[in-house]
Amino acid sequence: MMPENMEIDTPGRMINFSEKQITLLDRFVLDFIQVLEQQTPYVIVSGYVAILFGRSRGTEDVDILVPRLEKARFAALHDALLSEGYEFLNAEDTGGLYEMLTGKMGIRVAKKGQFIPNIELKFFKDDIDQSVFQSRVDVVLPDAHVYISPIEVQIAYKVWLGSPKDIEDALFLFEIFRQHLNQELLKKQMTAFHVSGDEYGIIL
Amino acid sequence: MSAGMSMELSFDKKAHLLERLAFVRQYAAWVKRTPDAEWSRQQAALIDSFIENARNMPLSKENYLRIVDRRKRAEQHD
Repeated sequence: MMPENMEIDTPGRMINFSEKQITLLDRFVLDFIQVLEQQTPYVIVSGYVAILFGRSRGTEDVDILVPRLEKARFAALHDALLSEGYEFLNAEDTGGLYEMLTGKMGIRVAKKGQFIPNIELKFFKDDIDQSVFQSRVDVVLPDAHVYISPIEVQIAYKVWLGSPKDIEDALFLFEIFRQHLNQELLKKQMTAFHVSGDEYGIIL
Repeated sequence: MSAGMSMELSFDKKAHLLERLAFVRQYAAWVKRTPDAEWSRQQAALIDSFIENARNMPLSKENYLRIVDRRKRAEQHD
């Protein structure tokens, strides 16, 4: 994939990935984003980022962050999703779901009658989420594109999460993007999360 | 659990993680030298079958959310 096949622009804000075979998980994400983008910008974070670039594992959920929406805007998103065949897994009405989001909780959305895969949608909860959004990376896929968190932030965040699965995701991203990482940014993120990847071979 | 047994388990855990990380490194190297169309075809077979199996899981969404919630709480206590 990289560095031979993948095109990355100089500031690392766009990745061209036009030969990738789209999985059922990718299709689920792309369909959801089509509805989401009509109401709000977004950024995808966590496990799906590693899977998108080839990590050989499945996942039940895809984490998506959005800026805090006004209640009416959220209601419009809610209605648009329902009319496109999605359902909210949390047993709440629009008001209840909105309260969960403003209370820094995630809400889960899946295609009606299916709960895997699902999207865990959250409002930004702090400055880190905000800055991840501001520096989001555009990944161009065969017939669509998605915005993901900067890889450097994902590596540090995954090391911070610390489960074996998360460490593996961090190492995978580190190895795949090794020659393209912004070392200063990665160092800064590691410091911000108070972690080191040294013992796992994530060495700056 | 005795202190000895606990140390042994934690050693096994660490050894297992290191083994997994060695695999991840090798796998990432393979992905990097393999055309996107090829590695993603193999990855799609794995992910698509995971999704197909999950779709057939006889679980209600209430039970699913309960399991997710329990798992998250367990991870926080790890």
